Amino acid sequence: MTNLEKYNDAFITTFEITEDQLAGLKYQDIQAWDSVGHMSLIAALEDAFDIMFDTDDIIDFSSYEKGKEILSKEEYGVKF
Amino acid sequence: MCGLSGKTAVITGTNRGIGKEVLRVFAENGANVFACARNQNAQFEFELSTISEENNVNIFPIYFDLSDPQQIKTAVQKIRKTALTVDVLVNVAGIVEESTSFGMTSIEKMKKVFDINFFSLTQLTQYISRIMISQNHGSIVNISSIAAIDGTPAQYEYAASKAAVIGGTKKLARELADHNIRVNAVAPGIIDTDMGGKIDPVLKDEIIAKVIMKRMGTPREVANACAFLSSDLASYITGQVIRVDGGI
Repeated sequence: MTNLEKYNDAFITTFEITEDQLAGLKYQDIQAWDSVGHMSLIAALEDAFDIMFDTDDIIDFSSYEKGKEILSKEEYGVKF
Repeated sequence: MCGLSGKTAVITGTNRGIGKEVLRVFAENGANVFACARNQNAQFEFELSTISEENNVNIFPIYFDLSDPQQIKTAVQKIRKTALTVDVLVNVAGIVEESTSFGMTSIEKMKKVFDINFFSLTQLTQYISRIMISQNHGSIVNISSIAAIDGTPAQYEYAASKAAVIGGTKKLARELADHNIRVNAVAPGIIDTDMGGKIDPVLKDEIIAKVIMKRMGTPREVANACAFLSSDLASYITGQVIRVDGGI
């Protein structure tokens, strides 16, 4: 599984959505991505990539695209 | 006690006092333990291996300084890499400073106590709770103090920091319930530990005189309450503060 597939899978599984909904998806755009769902997503991504997010990055993780940008940071080292 | 066998617990402050006894009670009840302590120590490791062998459980020492956020993160990364579930977190580690009156307590000293007793506990809980969220189950027990509820014994900054632990416990119980994670606190009274020895002797005698059972508690009696709250026996208990104080 590629990193992009792992990333997408975390969203799809956590929020029970389809791949075509991912582009442009923002925090609280859908009912499932509320504050509770946000922590489930973070936990799923930490498992998928074997990382631990800093709290500031959890706060900044405001969209599907922003999440990729955060994961690409040096401390997480995820390449898409 | 049923309800802990086969579970894995992260316990802080396991090299002395209440934390050491929580570790022992969990092991005796069949739980595997990540035993958190500040410093590596041959005597401590010997004790861990003895407890592990006697109870046929795994005990993994994890060393980190709770006053260093990066060390907390690194410690949790080590725990994650074992790929074991983390069913229970017991936040025992805490500090108390020498007794001074409120007017003679510096803000710096208060911040130091809050850093360990509340903020470090919070940071560790943030990391561990995310492991529990991915598992969709868990139990967190925080050690508070009756000082947080009654205002005595102990010093201003200690009582205040332990009150913050109670507030955090109640808030977190609500927030994590959606993830099937329970959060409770234990509020010990006068307990026969090194930390208990820092309470002014006159004050200590006064408090014991008010205890219905007329004695200090033991670390084991606090540990038993932690084990109960962590176990499946307490499966419908969350957001609670259980006093272990001999009746005051």
